[in-house]
Order: sequence, then structure tokens, then C-alpha cells
Amino acid sequence: MKSTSELTDFYYKTLYPDLKTIEEERLRLKSKLTTTFAFIGLIAAIVMYGIYDATGTLNDGIFIIGFIAVAIGGVVYKMTVRDYTQTFKQKVIRPLVRAIDEQLSYQPEGMVGQMRFERSGLFRRSIDRYGGNDYVRGEIDGVPIEFSDLHAQYQTKDSKGNTHWHTIFQGLFIVSEFNKHFKGTTYVLPDSAQKSFGTLIGQWLQSTTGSHGELVKMDDPEFEKHFVVYASDQIEARYILTPSLMERLNRIRKRSKAELYIAFVSSHLYLGISTKRDLFEPSVFQSLLRLEQAMEYIGYLHLAIGMVEELKLNQKLWSKS
Amino acid sequence: MTALIIAAVVVLILVLMYNSLVGKKNQVENIFGGIDTQLKKRYDLIPNLVASVQQYMQHERTLLEKVTELRTQAMNPRLSDEKKMALDHQISGMLGSIMVAVENYPELKANENVMHLQQTLHEVEEQIAAARRAYNQAVTDYNNAIEMVPTNFMAQWMGYTRKPVFEISETQREAVDVKALFDR
Repeated sequence: MKSTSELTDFYYKTLYPDLKTIEEERLRLKSKLTTTFAFIGLIAAIVMYGIYDATGTLNDGIFIIGFIAVAIGGVVYKMTVRDYTQTFKQKVIRPLVRAIDEQLSYQPEGMVGQMRFERSGLFRRSIDRYGGNDYVRGEIDGVPIEFSDLHAQYQTKDSKGNTHWHTIFQGLFIVSEFNKHFKGTTYVLPDSAQKSFGTLIGQWLQSTTGSHGELVKMDDPEFEKHFVVYASDQIEARYILTPSLMERLNRIRKRSKAELYIAFVSSHLYLGISTKRDLFEPSVFQSLLRLEQAMEYIGYLHLAIGMVEELKLNQKLWSKS
Repeated sequence: MTALIIAAVVVLILVLMYNSLVGKKNQVENIFGGIDTQLKKRYDLIPNLVASVQQYMQHERTLLEKVTELRTQAMNPRLSDEKKMALDHQISGMLGSIMVAVENYPELKANENVMHLQQTLHEVEEQIAAARRAYNQAVTDYNNAIEMVPTNFMAQWMGYTRKPVFEISETQREAVDVKALFDR
């Protein structure tokens, strides 16, 4: 598999002609959007002042106008960047995925299915809105893998009857076959209790609040500091989480710079990287040629696709074959 | 009335302490059972392995005899836990040496039966390593409970004593990597 620096080269060399045209388009869009936003803002300001002048009070009308202006701005933004986003995904993300492995397929509009997401059992709250994009699937070294951006939400209603949306999970969700056979379930979750309450009280809290199974204390101090493990079987959890796998997960945690949610369920590995935003989207107000921007696209793709190699999922044990 | 409530609370605390200690002791025994199952699986493989390699391995004859003898000892059902652990330690080391020795015999390396045995052994080793780690954690929890205040008083009264943990050397932390030996 290509390294991230090779991919950076690919980004700036092979993709450069396309990036240049996309960049021109971006600048055109940027000035168009700036003018449109200024225009909408001006009209709204005039109308709002008009209302204030006529009534002499700060009434609801003014807020409604402001709200409408923001909504129109949002719709205009979405409509304007839609084609641009599509071009970007076809001309930049797709070739990048291909450059990492030719056999992978990429669907900008696709996503990991909701059934799959729910089957992981990582997030137990029932989902009211489910969406995603940038779906990649294929085989790496004979190991089936799929991933996409996901956003799962639930809604609540307050006493006034207003609906509020809350995020259950937002980020990159990866599903892959695991190389060992196992019967039960093992969950590796971010360790929030131990971090905020210290080891002793934290562990006590963890052991009393396990909806994912029995608490399993692991023997890798760094791993234990950042993660908490719940499993249906103490021995099986350690059969899956060998010292070397824990080290590798430590590395992935550091690289992803986000909280990790990992499930080992029915011979599959589910990994959620909670980036809390939509990845692989082009920015209109920042250049695509910026290194940080390029590194973000490359970094996450490399991390997701590189999982098979990093976690040695291609080394099947005899019992699996 | 107050005295009654205090008495009830004290009794409740004592019951909880007692139950948590019993729970920890049972957890240790339960996981030791898990190790036992895996160890038996490995012992079952030994005669097979010895039979497959002995006609080639003339130089390692004593090693093979020794491992067979240790296996017979280890199969004794009346063995104490400590003795079992010590025997397992020895057998692990010997199996490792046999695996390394196989490298010197090209006929063996290519033998499908031996290859299959090695892979099975590798799988069982991984299971044993996992069970050992689980056991050590359970023993640590148990030992902590019987030494820490306030459960230590209760443990003393119940006659609970410290249990030893498995010594896991660096080489054993990663089970004998048969596949890596093959790939060389």
C-alpha cells in the first residue's frame, strides 16, 4: 500500500491539473457567494430597519426576517456548491481512493447501511435520522472492508413542542471482517469515566454502568487509560485484544485524533472514528491546494483503508479458514 | 430504632463485602477452568505431534521423551493449581524448542500433517495466552481485595489467602509464532 507521503505526491502532481480547474471554480464560487450573501444581508437589514422604524419596538417580525435571511443563505449555499462538490468528489476523492487500491469502489452518495451500523451494537439509542456519504467498499488482501461518513441522530421534543436533534454518532464508520473466530461480543469504548474521576472511582463507575457487558481490565496501561473494554467473555476479550492489537489500536487512536468506538461482533470488526463532522467535503472558503486540507483527505482515507494492514486482519488464523 | 438502623446497615455492608470476596474467588476459579480447557486441548495435540516428528528427529529424542512424560504428569487430575502452572511453563518452553528444531528438517517443514499441527498449536497457544492474562487480572483483583482495607479483615476471617499469578515472560506474552517460523 502507498504511504501518505506518496499519496501527497500523487495529490500535488497527478491531480494538479484537475485541482487547478477546481480551484478556479472555487474562487468564482467564492466571489459569487460573497456577493449574494452581502446582497441578502443588505435586503434583510433594510427590511428589519423598516419594521423597527414603523413599530418602534424590537418585535418578533425582526427576528423572523433575520431567520428567513439565514435560511435563504443556507439554501443558496447548498445549491451553489452542489455541482462543485460533485466535481470535487469525482476528480479528487475518487482518484485518491483508486490510487490507494485499484479494486476499491467509491460512491459519493452511498453509505454504510443502517442495519450494519445498528448491528455493531456500539450505540444503543434508537435512531430517528440516519445519513451519510462517501462510501468506499472492496477487498484489501482478500479482506472485505467498507466505510463511509455517517451521521446518526435522535430527536427530542421540549415542553414548547419544539424538536431538537442530537447527534448519536458523526464521523467515519468502518466495517471489516476480523481474522479470528469468536462467539461473544467485545466492545472497546472511549474511557470517559476513568479520565474524569481517576482510576479507582472511574473503574468502579465503569463496572456498575456496563450495558455492553462485563468490564474487562486490560494489561496495557496506555490502552487502559484511553479505552474501556466490555465483553461477554473475559478470556475471549483477551483472545481478540492481544498485546500487539492493543498497541496498534493505540497508534490508530493517536493518528485519528478523535474518539474511537470499536466493536467485535459476529466475526466482524466495527470501528467508529468520531470526528464530529462530515469528512471529504470541499471547502469553498479555503484553498484545496493547502497542505493541511490535502493531508486531511489523504490521512483519513489512508487510515481507513490501511486498517487491514495495520491491524493485520489479513493474517487469518487456521480456525477461520 | 436508630440502633436498629445502624445494625441493619452494618449487616448489609458485611454481606456485601462477603459476597464481593466470594465473587472474586469464584471468578479466579472460573477463569482457571478456562485455562484448564485450553491446556487440555494442547496436551491432546502433543502425542500427535510427537508421533509425526519422532522418526525424523533422532537428535531430539530426549526432548520428545521428556515432553511426553511431562504431559502424562500434567494430565493427572489430582494436581494442585500451582503444580499445573509450573508444568505448563515447562511444556511451553519445550514445545517452543521442538518447533525451532523442526526448522532443521526440510521433510518435516513440508509435511502437511506437521504444518496442520503447528497451526493448531499456534491457535491453542493464543487461546492459552488470553486465558492466562484473564487469570492474572482476576487474581490481581482477588489479591487486592484480600489485602486492602476493609475487605482484608473479612478475608482473614474467611481464611482467604493470596494466590500466585502466572509468570508471563516476554517470549510467552506473544505465543510461539509458528507461522513466522515458517515464513523464514
